[in-house]
Amino acid sequence: MTAVQGKAEKSHNETTGAALYDKFKVSAEMLSAEVHRAGNLEEARQLVTQLIKELGAKKVVYAPSELVDALDMKALGQAAGVVMTAENLRQNAADAELGISQLDYAIAEIGTLAGNANSIESRMVSILPPIHMAIVKTANILPNLLEAIATYNQKLGELPRYLTFVSGPSRTSDIERVLTIGVHGPGRLIIVFID
Amino acid sequence: MVATVLKNEIQNALNNDNLTGALGRFGEAYVPAREKAYEGKDFEKLRAEIAQIKASAAENMEALAQQFTAQAEKNGAKVFRAKTGQEAKEYIAKLITEHKVKTVIKSKSMASEEIHLNEYLLKNTDVAEVAETDLGEWIIQLCGQRPSHMVMPAIHMTRGEVAEIFSKETKQQLEPDIAKLVKVARENLRQKFLKAEMGISGANIAVAETGTLVMCTNEGNGRLTTTVPPIHVVLVGLEKLVAKFSDVGPILEALPRSATAQKLTTYVTMMSGPTPAIDLEGNIVEQKEMHIVLLDNGRTEMRDDPIFKQALQCIRCASCLNVCPVFQKVGGHVYGDIYTGGIGTILTAFLNSFDKAGELQNLCLRCERCKSFCPGKIDLPALITELRRRTVKKDGLPLGQKLILEKVLANRKLFHSLLRTASVAQKPFVKGNTIRHLPLFLSGLTEGRSLPAIAEKPLRDRVGHSVPKGKVKAKVAYFAGCLGDFVYPEQGEAAYKVLNKMGMEVIFPIEQTCCGIPASQMGAPEVAVKLAKQNIEALEKENVDYIISLCPTCVEVLKHHYLDHFKDDPAWLARAEKMSAKMIDFASFVAKHGQELKFNQLAQKVTYHDSCHMKRALGVWQEPRQLLNRAGVTITEMKGCDDCCGFGGSYSIKMPEISMAILNKKLDNIEETGVSVVALDCPGCKMQIAGGLDAQGKKVKVKHTAELLAEAIKE
Repeated sequence: MTAVQGKAEKSHNETTGAALYDKFKVSAEMLSAEVHRAGNLEEARQLVTQLIKELGAKKVVYAPSELVDALDMKALGQAAGVVMTAENLRQNAADAELGISQLDYAIAEIGTLAGNANSIESRMVSILPPIHMAIVKTANILPNLLEAIATYNQKLGELPRYLTFVSGPSRTSDIERVLTIGVHGPGRLIIVFID
Repeated sequence: MVATVLKNEIQNALNNDNLTGALGRFGEAYVPAREKAYEGKDFEKLRAEIAQIKASAAENMEALAQQFTAQAEKNGAKVFRAKTGQEAKEYIAKLITEHKVKTVIKSKSMASEEIHLNEYLLKNTDVAEVAETDLGEWIIQLCGQRPSHMVMPAIHMTRGEVAEIFSKETKQQLEPDIAKLVKVARENLRQKFLKAEMGISGANIAVAETGTLVMCTNEGNGRLTTTVPPIHVVLVGLEKLVAKFSDVGPILEALPRSATAQKLTTYVTMMSGPTPAIDLEGNIVEQKEMHIVLLDNGRTEMRDDPIFKQALQCIRCASCLNVCPVFQKVGGHVYGDIYTGGIGTILTAFLNSFDKAGELQNLCLRCERCKSFCPGKIDLPALITELRRRTVKKDGLPLGQKLILEKVLANRKLFHSLLRTASVAQKPFVKGNTIRHLPLFLSGLTEGRSLPAIAEKPLRDRVGHSVPKGKVKAKVAYFAGCLGDFVYPEQGEAAYKVLNKMGMEVIFPIEQTCCGIPASQMGAPEVAVKLAKQNIEALEKENVDYIISLCPTCVEVLKHHYLDHFKDDPAWLARAEKMSAKMIDFASFVAKHGQELKFNQLAQKVTYHDSCHMKRALGVWQEPRQLLNRAGVTITEMKGCDDCCGFGGSYSIKMPEISMAILNKKLDNIEETGVSVVALDCPGCKMQIAGGLDAQGKKVKVKHTAELLAEAIKE
């Protein structure tokens, strides 16, 4: 590959990447999710700190993972002035205001996040608190559901035991078909993409 | 006995304004919302794929069950094959007893409703509570009801009723405010989630290749049920099996779109084996206990049935309920069992009670709407007709019906002479050209609808062989249908006029008789076959190029059903095929061969009613509109132009209350347009709609497209 070709390909990827992000943002917002994007880890730290402060949360729980660990939750908790924990989640996740976990993929067409939720921590923090913050790599936005299924299909032997797909905050229309956000799961889903 | 109960329940449902209002509003909102959710998707392609996946899974059900079992066990789950509901219940009860479980939480599972699991566990174990956590399921659990819809179990209830139920449960007075009621559910059920020792859930898909269970929910209760308690039991029917993980894709593309018009449900969980949990003391349990109960309970029997195995292509989206005009009027409880609506009728027959289902099939109007929406490509109307046939085979036809079908309908001369006699006998009851009141046992026929009088002179005596002026372009046989012959001869005369003007030589084969649909529908296919043979013989004699009918159901029957009747009789099949190729509906024929027709411009304001069998069975709806436009007609489309009018042949006699309720909605929609004429292409719809308008004293006229074209045609 020549340098020119390489540059062209990179620029092509950037354009598709940006287009996928824009598409995802529109689809996810239609489902009442809130979508943010940070250019790098440092920006992400500032953004997440800022968001936690705005939420007025006192207790935040998180599930350790590659990207969440890179954000350094302990330091972030101190900066935002909250109790930040990944311990004793049966109790702590139940009364925390916010749970933070990483998801692996985002699906642009339908505004859905997908990821391995084998760890009990990741499931507890994403379903019990009234707000869930999902951290995702911008590079991992897939165009549609079938691509996501195909991606997991490639690793059949090592499928996560608990594979989760999340599209917006918890909802119900069981009473008179009136849409109501936030039933048993979180009433807000905040998605932070990191480039 | 069963019939009386059904009749009473229908009456109660129709009188329940909450129910009909809520369902009607939902039914109307559902179709455009679903359309939007499918935007950019090729539904036909998708459902062909799903039908293939599910049909092949049904074919290989046992092999897939074994593969699934082996794989899931390799993943660390325990799998139990339950032949009956009883076996499944006993297994789960034993688990509860062994683990000394006191509280169970459940995420929605129709299979558990099917086998009445909760009731059994409460009675046969020491468990203190089996709490449903899906909001709809919880509501109906609290008030001791059954789900009325597969996807939205409490769709029949109002916020007021829910407030009352929750007030009783929480012992505080709650307002009928939906957001607040949802919050009450969250707070109440949260404690149950955190304290439960066992979670029971269902699954939407089970993948044999990977041992994966796929579960779709919106509320998050499914994730809590499968995350918090250290024991998880999944109850899943064998029909949920698919072969490959990649099969999940197409099903997930369609299931939420067809169910609730969502592109995906909020939470989709794919579990391939047990994961860690936290026990009540807060300790991490590295691998929770996961039990999968694979439930048969009639599913193998269904798979072994050459006709009903098609029903295993169902992905349980319930869109057949959502678009069913009958369901929209009566709701799910009328269906009397766990599964409701069109697919429910079939499932009830195999999974619960054949006798009950035999009665339920009477609810189906055969408007075919469900068939065009089904993502599993199931021909539900045909399955329901088959159910009818088997009921008749088992129990026999009621004597009156037997007499009419076998002695009268099958004997053309007797049938036609009785109709001629009726035209005389009815005289005391005819006022103008409609019958307003019929005596005694026939009175149900005219409730809310006037019946047309039988014509003094049927079409067969008015028209015959008719040759056009000028050169003959083709030879056409006219198939009148019973209504077209004996009730609305003027429609046939109009058609003759238009056909002659097109240069068609028209022949009325005098030995033609009823197409046979009433016999098929009433469960007497042998009578239908007899009539088919009579018609084929009568039409063959004339040696024509085309066969035309003004009745879409007759066209459908002669063109398609006859081929089915003779699929095991090669000699007759060949004759039926020859005839099928010539059969065409009037509107399509004129649109195709009448391009040179000249019209005076009618300048009338008309609304067009799409007949079910014209639009859905024949796929014809643009042609009549184009023709009417050519005749100078302005069409003002009504709301729900292709909603059924409620006629459905003998349906309007068997289920007059439902038929009238559906008709009234149609009449309201017609009135809203403010037009003076309703155009349509079906004599049956004309009978229903014109009768309804007449009974309400409305001045709106109902005309067959042929009549409007004949009026406008340039001499």
